[in-house]
Order: sequence, then C-alpha cells, then structure tokens
Amino acid sequence: MKPAHPITGETLLQADLYRPASSVLELRAVSCAYDVGHPAVRDISFAAKEGEILCLLGPSGCGKTTILRAIAGFEPVRSGQIFLSGQLVSSPDHMTPTEERHVGMVFQEYALFPHLRVQENIAFGLRHLKRSERKTLVQDMLRLVGLEGFERRYPHELSGGQQQRVALARALVQHPVVLLLDEPFSNLDPDMAGRMRQELHDLLRRTKTTTILVTHDHDEAFAMADRIAVLNHGCLEQFDTPETIYHIPETPFVADFVGQADFIPGTVSNGMVHTELGEFPNTLKCEDGEAVVVMIRPDDIHLVPTKGATSHVLSRQFRGSENLYAVSLPSGQVVHSSQGSTSVYHEGTPVELRVLASHTVLFKQSASVEPPR
Amino acid sequence: MTTIRQHLTSPLQLVALASAGLILLPLGYVTSQALLADPAVWSRLWATRIPELLSNTVWLAASVASLTLLLGVSTAWLVTRVEFPGRRLWEGALVLPLAMPTYVLAYIYSYLLGFGGPVEHAWQIVAGPQARIFSPQSYLGATLVMTLDTFPFVYLLSRSALLSMNVSFEEVSRARGISRMKTLWLVTLPLMRPSIAAGLALVILYVVSDFGAVSLLRYQTLTYAVFQQMTGRSDNTAASILSLLLVGFALVFLITERWFRHRSRFYQTTGRYRSPQRQRYGWLGTTLITGYLGLIIGAAFMLPAYLLISWSLSSDAQATIDSRFYGFLWNSGFLAACAATGGVLIGLPLAYLASRRPTWLNLGCLQAAYAGYVLPGPVAALAVLVLCLNLTPFIYGSVLVLIVAYVIHFLPAGLQSLEPALQQITPNLEEVARTLGLGVRQTWQRVTLPLIRNGFVVAWVLIFLQTMKELPATLLLRPVGFDTLAIRVWMEASEEYYQLAAPSALLIVLLGLPALVLLVSKDWRAA
Repeated sequence: MKPAHPITGETLLQADLYRPASSVLELRAVSCAYDVGHPAVRDISFAAKEGEILCLLGPSGCGKTTILRAIAGFEPVRSGQIFLSGQLVSSPDHMTPTEERHVGMVFQEYALFPHLRVQENIAFGLRHLKRSERKTLVQDMLRLVGLEGFERRYPHELSGGQQQRVALARALVQHPVVLLLDEPFSNLDPDMAGRMRQELHDLLRRTKTTTILVTHDHDEAFAMADRIAVLNHGCLEQFDTPETIYHIPETPFVADFVGQADFIPGTVSNGMVHTELGEFPNTLKCEDGEAVVVMIRPDDIHLVPTKGATSHVLSRQFRGSENLYAVSLPSGQVVHSSQGSTSVYHEGTPVELRVLASHTVLFKQSASVEPPR
Repeated sequence: MTTIRQHLTSPLQLVALASAGLILLPLGYVTSQALLADPAVWSRLWATRIPELLSNTVWLAASVASLTLLLGVSTAWLVTRVEFPGRRLWEGALVLPLAMPTYVLAYIYSYLLGFGGPVEHAWQIVAGPQARIFSPQSYLGATLVMTLDTFPFVYLLSRSALLSMNVSFEEVSRARGISRMKTLWLVTLPLMRPSIAAGLALVILYVVSDFGAVSLLRYQTLTYAVFQQMTGRSDNTAASILSLLLVGFALVFLITERWFRHRSRFYQTTGRYRSPQRQRYGWLGTTLITGYLGLIIGAAFMLPAYLLISWSLSSDAQATIDSRFYGFLWNSGFLAACAATGGVLIGLPLAYLASRRPTWLNLGCLQAAYAGYVLPGPVAALAVLVLCLNLTPFIYGSVLVLIVAYVIHFLPAGLQSLEPALQQITPNLEEVARTLGLGVRQTWQRVTLPLIRNGFVVAWVLIFLQTMKELPATLLLRPVGFDTLAIRVWMEASEEYYQLAAPSALLIVLLGLPALVLLVSKDWRAA
C-alpha cells in the first residue's frame, strides 16, 4: 500500500514511529476489536511529545474516534500497547481504568452535566480539594477560557461556543496528561469554528497541554496540529507535519483527502515521466515503460488563454478568493486549476496549461488505488 | 467485552437475570401446566367452554374495535382539522374516559340502563309503559361500556398522526384540484393507517384482558372464565389452559400494535413541521360538532362523574366514610407503594443494562419484563398463585404474593418511562465523569442517578396509581379480609349498592387523573 517516501525514503517515518517510551503518549501496534458501531483499527503506532498538538485525520468511519476512546480507556485493545507518561495503560491483558489515567476529554457534543451549573461542572472532579481551593481554581479556569461571570449559568443557557469552553475548562482544570478532543468544532457554525480554532490553539500553547485532536476536516487539522496522523479504513496512512502531508503525500488517498488533487496517468521512458501535461522527473526511479500516476494540485496549474489551444475550460466555480476551473484535456481527462478571483474565463475558452513541476508527486500505478470521490 | 467491565457489571447482570427469571418463571409454570394437562381436560374444555368463550371474546373485540374506530378517528379529525369555540378544551377532555376504570363505568351503566333505571324511565315516557330497552348485562352493554372506555386510545394515536403528518401531502392533493372530502379519503386516511391500526390493536388488547366490566356485566369472555375457573371451581389446570389461549391471543395484538407503531414513524417524519390549516364552519356546523363531542364525553365521563359525586354526597354514602373506609384506602396505598417500589427497583437494572450494554442477553431480559403486557390480571394472579402453591406454600395468602403479581403485571408501565429516561442520557456523560477521576459507583451516584430521577419518579407514580385501581389479581390473591378500594367498588356494585360504592369509585377516578396526565403528556408533546 505505502510506496517508498519520495524524498526522505523511510527514515523519517521510522524515526517518528518508534521513539522510546519517554514520550507523553505512545501507541505501539495497537489494534482494536471490532464492535458493532465502532470501526476496527489495525496496527496503529505513533507517539506524542510533551506539549505537542497531534491530529488524527480521516473520513468518518476510519476509526479515529476508536483510537481516541482506546487512549481514554473506553475501548479495549486486541493487540499492542498504549503508554501514558511511560506507564503501560492498555494491552490485551491489562487495562487501567479511565479514572486512573488522568486524561482529559472533550466530547463532540461537549457532554456538560445538564443538572449542574457551570462552576459545578468545572469543579466536578475536584472533590478532593478544599472549598476555597476549588473556588480559586474554577475562577482561574473561567478567566483562562474567557467566561468570567458565567459561573452560575446552567449548560442549556449557554451558546455552543460557550459550552465548548466550559467543557475545555472542566478537562484542563484536572491538569490532564493528555487532552483528547473529539471533533471539537463540528457542532459550531463555520464562523464560530474559525474563531474557536484560533482561541483553542493559543490556549493549548499557553498551557503547554499535550493534545490529541480528532477531525475529518483537513483545514482544521492544518490550522491546529504540529503533526497529523492520516487514517483510512482503520490503518495509519501517514504521520507527519501538515506541510509534508500536503506537499509530499505518501499515498493517493492522503493526497486526495487533504486537498483537491488530480491524478494524471503517465509512462516512464528515458528517465522521465511522460504525461499529457508534459514531462516530470522520475522521483520513484521507475523502470522504463512502467505506468505511473502524477498527482497535481490545482494551485500548481496555471492557465493561459491561447487561441488554438487543444484544452478548454469546462466550468468555473467562483470561491471568493479564487476561481476553481475544471479544464478538459484533449484525451477527455479533466484537471483542476485555481486562479485569482479576477481572472475570469468563459466556458469553452481554449487554454494552455503550465504546470509547476517541482510540486508534483509520483505514485506507482499499482499503488494508486482509486482515490475516494 | 472487556474483562474489567465485565467485573464491574456482573452483579447488575445477576440482578437483571434474576428479575427476568422472576417474571418468566410463573409464566413458564402456567404454560407447562397447561401443556402437560390431561388431554381429557383439553377435550372437555374444547367441547364445552372454549368455542363459546372464544366467539364471545372475538365478537366483543370486533364490535368495540369498529365503534372505537369511528369515534376515535372522527373526534381526532375534528379537533385537528376544524376550528370551533373551545376546541382546545375538547381536545384535552377527550382523553378523560381513560381515567375511568372499566368496572366503574360498567357499574354506572348497569344502574343507568338497568331494570327501572333512568334511561328505561325516559324511554317509557316516549314509547309507553310496557317498553323495554336492552339489558346492560349483555353483549350490547359490554360493547357500549368498553367502547366508551377505550376509544381515547384510537383518538390519541390518530390525533398525533394527524398533527405530525406532513401537511404538504394534503396540499399537493388539493393543488391537483381534488376536493377536501376526496383528499381525506385518498390521502389523509391512508397516511393515518399505521397509527389507527396501532390504536385498534391497543383497544383489542385492552378488551381481551379486561376483567372489571365483563365481570360486572356478566359477559363470558376468556379473561372472566379464567377467574371463574379459579374461584368457582378451583380448577387451576383448566384456568391455565384458558390462560394460554388468552396469552396467545393477546400476544398477536401486542405484536400488531408494536409493528404498526413502528411503521407509523415512516409516515410522519418527513419535511419541516407546519401546523395544518383548520377549517371553520357556520353556526350550524359548530353546534353539530359541539353536540357530537358533548354527547361522547358526557356519556363516557361527565355523566358518570356527576353520578359518582352526587352519590358520594348522599347520606348513605357519607355514613360509609368511617375508619373502615380509611382502612381500605390505607390497604390500597400500602400495596401500591410496595408494588411501585419493587417495580422500579427491578426495572432499573433491566432498563440500564439494555440501554448501556445491548447484548442479546440483556435485551432478552428486558423483553421478558414486558411479558406482563400480555398477562391479563387474572392470568398474572394465576401464574403467581400456581408457582407459589408449588414452591413456597408458606407465603401463600400473604401480601407478598399479591405484590409479586402486581410487579409482574405493571412492570411494563414502569419500564416505559424508565427506558426513555436512560436513553436520553448520552453515555458520554458517564464517560466524561470517568475521565474526571470518578469510579463506576461514584459516576452512578453523581451523574446517572440525578439525571434519571424524573423518569424514576414518573415510573413509580405510574405503577402506584395503576396498582391502586387493580381489581382481578387483588380479588384472587388478597389475604382474607384484606380489602382495597377497588375491591369495595366491585363488591358493592355486584350487590347493586350503587351509592355505597360511589366514594371509593370517585377516589379511584380522581387518583387516575394524574396518571392520565403523565401517560398522555409524552404523546401530547411529541405531536
């Protein structure tokens, strides 16, 4: 499934996957049993450093929430181990109960206790402290998340964004070893989600909280994460920084999932890859005559309207800051190109295509399982 | 699934299994007794009683079903599709007959229609002194009483179908130029079919398992026959055989009801909700509608309630309100409180496990607990009695036997409010408490219990109030001389001491009202 890494080979991947157990969180070859309603995950390994924000990204049903729940101790593992602060917490024959793991969790729908006020929600896990200490801690947290004056409200009297901040405060006040966030922005309207994303990022940085965030939205993952683990069908496809994931995806799935991409078939001859869009360097060192696929992102294709050109504009989608064009090549293959919002070409306009060859990624034909559409 | 979770839930699992066992054991015992009975008993029953009992039961169910269909659907249509003065008042009043136990309504109608009663008097003024009307103690009388008592089931389900139905269906039909009447036949009624069918199945279930009305009106149905076999002949084997038939019969309609209720959802939840347009009629139409609804509610609730109040105020009745009366009240309350407490304590683990760990075993235990639904009062009593005579004869004749029978009989009513209460709390709330450092027990105390408190209380109140008016099981299993309000009503009414029965009956009706509010409010809001 995974081809060799086009630039760094396998070394980068290896280094990240098998670090010593000193990291805050480590998963070693974790598989979870199939349970009705929970997708299975197979052989997942990754580790999070202190203070790092790590994102599990994948389509719904890929098992990312299952991993989160396994870390929290809600799901048993069938094989492999999970370590928190160097301690084994999950393995097939050992399972530390959730309450002894010191993980914080914010659920998709926040799960605020509806029968308790904001202050009681935040102080819920602080029973062991004195009243006065509890009060100070709650006030500190409220200030941190910007909800002073809301302590006597009930959850149903808060907006979605406020509820989320209370849930966050409730988790952070325990000083969790890791904070687990399950689709934290999916219940907010897009405007609010954007603002909360920024606020949450600042907050996590300030408190130096190690965080695992689950999302299906690559924009969210790019904006928040130090590193991203892309998952598909319960398997880890790639674990890397957002930039690497976007520019050097390891599989066609990753390439397609983290942004718009076109896949152009080509063949290798004389050390170059020949396609309808021109020649590209043979980064995979393929044999002559081998069939390959070139991934090109819309922002790497530039359109020049030219009389008599063999390609023509199929459709235009206005997106505010850009125009996304679908262009039909002579063979009937369709590729996409992103142009400035002021360059408007009508349907049928003949265009030349200029491709920034340095940004393309090559996949072997055998590896290119049809990208999901 | 995990070793840890299994350790923590296994005591609960045991409790649930034991509860399911407690419920299924008597039922199984009765079944085995019926199946293992001497074939001679079977053939004797087939030759003598069963054909008559079956045909009586089927005829009564059929006639009540068709009449309730007419009353229920027409009243539901009027209050949802027509605008007239006092509409909302009528809308609520139409469920009131459900607060009237069948034996109370039966006893009032045996006075009203009885020999020398007020209706006969009125009829004789019109038709001459020799004129007679039908006797209430007949097929017609039973049909009338059961219809008036059960049509609100059809009304309630039809009403919510009419309210939650997507109005666009009707509008599309009108836009195609089809008249209002034709739209009703072509679009509205077909869309209501699953709800109406569910309501009718409920009515039939109720008629088949009723004991109060048929015993006072002396109309021989299967349920009444089970009672007679047990009391008159002390023939528990024959009673078991009849019970088996009855349970089979009831099961068919219970499944029918479930199936149609499930299907009715597909007809309702499409598109955004918009309240239907209500048509207005002239003064003649309004008068006719008001007269029609007034006649139904008057006959089913107002007139009976008026009679009960005036009888209760009579000096004869007042004289019965003494320490003995309060003794009956105390007995009723004590039994009902025990049954309600037992019911929720048994119901809670069952409902909890079924909603949190829906394995086949747990769901099976929950379904077993719903068995009480198909057990008419006398059958529940018979089941507990037979088991107790064989296994624990030393508790026979004690209050305990009676309470066990109540719990089996009314557990479904409690479960119906416990189950949604548990389903409404997302498991995330419990999980988040665990991440905040709480153990399983603490989570249960500080999160789950406070959140299900309302459902818990409603379940308790429902079982309490239903037990207060329970008649057949109490008659069969009570300790000697241990009378309740319901027993007093039934005994005085059997002897035609109408006035003496009134205070107890009135009290039972009044206590039925809050239960009615609890039962109806869910359907009401959902619509």
